[in-house]
Amino acid sequence: MDELKGLVFRLCAAPGTPGNENAAAKAAGKELSKYAKAHVDKMGNVIAKMGKLGAEKHILLDAHLDQIGLIVTNIDKHGFLRVDRTGGVDRRVLPGSPVTIYGKEVLTGVVCCTPPHLSDGSEDKLVSVDKMAVDAGLSKAEAEKLVRPGDRILLHAAPKSLLGTRVTAPGLDDRAGVAVLIRCAQLLAGCELNCEVTVLLSSREEVGGQGAVTGAYSVNPTHAVIVDVSFAEQPNVLPEKCGKLGGGPMIGVAPILNRSMIDGMIETAKKNHIPYKLDVMGGSTGTNSDEIAITRKGVKAELISIPLRYMHTPVEVIDLKDVEHTARLIAEYIKGVE
Amino acid sequence: MADWKLLERLCTARGISGNEDEVRNLILGEIEPYATSVEITPLGSIIAFKKGERRPKTKLMLNAHMDEVGMIVTDITDGGLLKFATVGGIDRRVLCGIPVTVGKNVGGVVGAKPIHLLEEDEKEKSVPLKDLYIDIGAENREEAESHVMPGDPVTFDSVFDTSHGMLKSRALDDRAGCAMMIDMIQGDLKYDLYFVFAVQEETGLNGSRTAAFAVEPQAAIVLESTTAADVAGVDRENQVCNVGGGAVISFMDRHTIYDKEYYQMAFKAAKKAGVNCQAKRAVAGGNDAGAIHVSRGGVRTVAVSLPCRYLHSAVSLISQEDFISAQKLVCELADMIAGEG
Repeated sequence: MDELKGLVFRLCAAPGTPGNENAAAKAAGKELSKYAKAHVDKMGNVIAKMGKLGAEKHILLDAHLDQIGLIVTNIDKHGFLRVDRTGGVDRRVLPGSPVTIYGKEVLTGVVCCTPPHLSDGSEDKLVSVDKMAVDAGLSKAEAEKLVRPGDRILLHAAPKSLLGTRVTAPGLDDRAGVAVLIRCAQLLAGCELNCEVTVLLSSREEVGGQGAVTGAYSVNPTHAVIVDVSFAEQPNVLPEKCGKLGGGPMIGVAPILNRSMIDGMIETAKKNHIPYKLDVMGGSTGTNSDEIAITRKGVKAELISIPLRYMHTPVEVIDLKDVEHTARLIAEYIKGVE
Repeated sequence: MADWKLLERLCTARGISGNEDEVRNLILGEIEPYATSVEITPLGSIIAFKKGERRPKTKLMLNAHMDEVGMIVTDITDGGLLKFATVGGIDRRVLCGIPVTVGKNVGGVVGAKPIHLLEEDEKEKSVPLKDLYIDIGAENREEAESHVMPGDPVTFDSVFDTSHGMLKSRALDDRAGCAMMIDMIQGDLKYDLYFVFAVQEETGLNGSRTAAFAVEPQAAIVLESTTAADVAGVDRENQVCNVGGGAVISFMDRHTIYDKEYYQMAFKAAKKAGVNCQAKRAVAGGNDAGAIHVSRGGVRTVAVSLPCRYLHSAVSLISQEDFISAQKLVCELADMIAGEG
């Protein structure tokens, strides 16, 4: 588990907001290249091929590389940075939070927070993110030298271990999925496979999945397995909507997902004694599966999710056992393809 | 204080009110070789006495507090999550979605319901304290209990950043004041001075109250951090004070009406020291002066504060220049008060 933890922490330490995934792509590409030669395409996707090239069945393995963050929209007359969201940032976690600003240099900032004595009892109400500001402690002139509109900001939280095999880090959505595919590539390296496998670490999922749309078009697979995170049980959330931390991968069931692949995954889990839970959705999945399944003339797709707590906060929590189990499930499934 | 290493060590030490041991030990290590005498009060405050070149005409005590705001574990749920209470005046808006440390080294996070599962009206509201809890990754109560017990302190994980003339860190309130006093003790003094490193300021001024009783001073200077509301979206008339404007001198706050003569004297001291200072432009907040100025038969008290943004959140911000100029002001003011009959 220590090796896996190291991998997850290295992946999470590299910033990668939508459309600006370079650092994350570099970190992930380096890890993936140990098992399959990886390259970065013009949309910022990391792509690597394995298995039997040109085989009838061609499986695309997708996990998204990007993470939610903030983008600088302008610098006000006092040097405060005005920002907007890149992806579904939760405004409730922003006030008073330390942030990292990726300008000409890496800067520490704080999301402005009006002191309680000035809020007249209105501190319950949170303004929208475009009305918030980030304080880098810089004057307007200094700020303009170091930060440009379009620069990206991440909430600051260092990856760290919790009890047992649980860890917290910002961006585990979906670096945990990226870790699964890298571990999966490791498990498949050197195996005789009957199918072609392409790993796609895709860009821009949090703003619409443009990386997956174009990546899946280019790769032109017959099948796809998408790895993302889903909700783990936590207080104030209905347990029936959730997986369980440490309870193994969540096997997706939804109209857009392919029934024979779903059944194949369930069978593989049972055969290999991998714990799992079904994750049933009535409509679309809210993941890259929705885009990949309708690429070109259609792709048979299945979604496997890693249970995660506190999604879209800087303190997302997963259990590393789930990463390992998810990687094994997918690797065993691929080994079983005839 | 040319380098900020000492301040970094002070700010990264963990010490919520009532759990100041780590900070106290660090301070003792710094001052014991230099102080004439050092005493620890029953509540845990440090009283350090240092002889100067001359005997003072007015017995003067300087005070800064060692404790910081944080949380305390109150209960462990069946599921292994920790319920907590705030210690000191934390703005609960800053708690949601932050990493914390429980006790000495148990990592935890204050989680939040995923944004995807929020009802529309929940999205624009801060999370009520009763819905917040700390997750240390325990599978159940038993596992949590083997690492944590009710009463354990909880502190923010944070940063310490000294770039571009600013200081950004946890607990600048009031480790910055502690750092200034340590620096004075390590240097030469003109007059004999008492220094109090107080416990439990954030929960009721208890350390300074009892230490002032013990020291029995005639006058006191309280070194503090005070809210600078000069942030985006706040008009000048509501800003209280400005980062970069120099030390902040209070005439009145929620607990204290300050000694008028000393209030004026502080501005003279700034002029003499050649540094900027500013009046606190609001009657807000409070500090150890509230307890000190009514100690025994009364103590003439003045407060010199650093303008500090985001006080009582995971990361606060002060200016290095303000720190340096406040320190010069305090040294000058101490000489003026102690030298005056």
